[in-house]
Amino acid sequence: MQKNRFERWLQNIQNTQDEEISCSECFDLVSHYVEVELSGQDAKARMPQLKQHLDQCASCRQEYESLRDLQFLENNDELPSTSDLEDLIP
Amino acid sequence: MPKTRTNQEWLHDLTSSGSIQDAAVVDLRDILLRAALYFFSRNLGDFRGLSRDEILQRAEDCAQDALIALMKHLPDFRGDSKFTTWAYKFAINMAMVVARHERWKGISLDELAFFEESNFFEKMMQDRSGEPTPERSAMQTEIQGIILDVIREDLTDKQRLVLTMMVIHEVPLDEVVRHLGTNRNAVYKLLHDARKKLKSGLEAHGFDVGETISLFGTSR
Repeated sequence: MQKNRFERWLQNIQNTQDEEISCSECFDLVSHYVEVELSGQDAKARMPQLKQHLDQCASCRQEYESLRDLQFLENNDELPSTSDLEDLIP
Repeated sequence: MPKTRTNQEWLHDLTSSGSIQDAAVVDLRDILLRAALYFFSRNLGDFRGLSRDEILQRAEDCAQDALIALMKHLPDFRGDSKFTTWAYKFAINMAMVVARHERWKGISLDELAFFEESNFFEKMMQDRSGEPTPERSAMQTEIQGIILDVIREDLTDKQRLVLTMMVIHEVPLDEVVRHLGTNRNAVYKLLHDARKKLKSGLEAHGFDVGETISLFGTSR
């Protein structure tokens, strides 16, 4: 069942670590994380601090999700051309 | 379509001169534009009120800004991912900052900066389902009191402000950064320190945060 907003916030408090990596460190590492993940390896186990940051930071998480999806498309030769992407803008 | 290059070829071409570098920059810019357009196409709700041409222009601007940022950081590329993966993140980052700003630009963040105890839990628990039993209700009230005490007594003004904007009103991180004139790391740290104080506060009163979640949530 979907967690409510207050429950998700408490979850963030529960998962708070004394030391957490910054958004800059996340930005620096996230492309490697995506590469590890898309190669089928356990990125969470290999880079737990990055995963912890992605769980806490909505902005970094949204960037990660877009990066992962974009790279997945490229790996599968399914990335739309510039003109196809422009056609998606109404 | 951009020419396919290995990581080494990207680095070689981008750091060359003349036509080799020019061709690599054109290809890279196209890659960055595609990343920005991809992000925008998935977040069209952020651009209500903008024409197609205006959205496309913003994507071009993002690609250009991302290109400048990337070239500045080119020596930092370690080769632990594909070059394109590394490049995409610069464009996605720019695109997200622009998209979220478009969504929030008409909203006065000053009005969302004040912590109001009276409606904190009302706002945070709008989406909860069902009513708690009397026993759970009493424990919830106690926990809410501890949380309010920590927010009121233990958080600094800036920690309280960031928590209010981001947790209660769900203002995106980059808009808080813009409002405060700071950077992502500083805002993240403020929220991190606020979370640490809340966690310690609950534990100091004998509440395990995990048990607290089950008292409020749908998870059992």
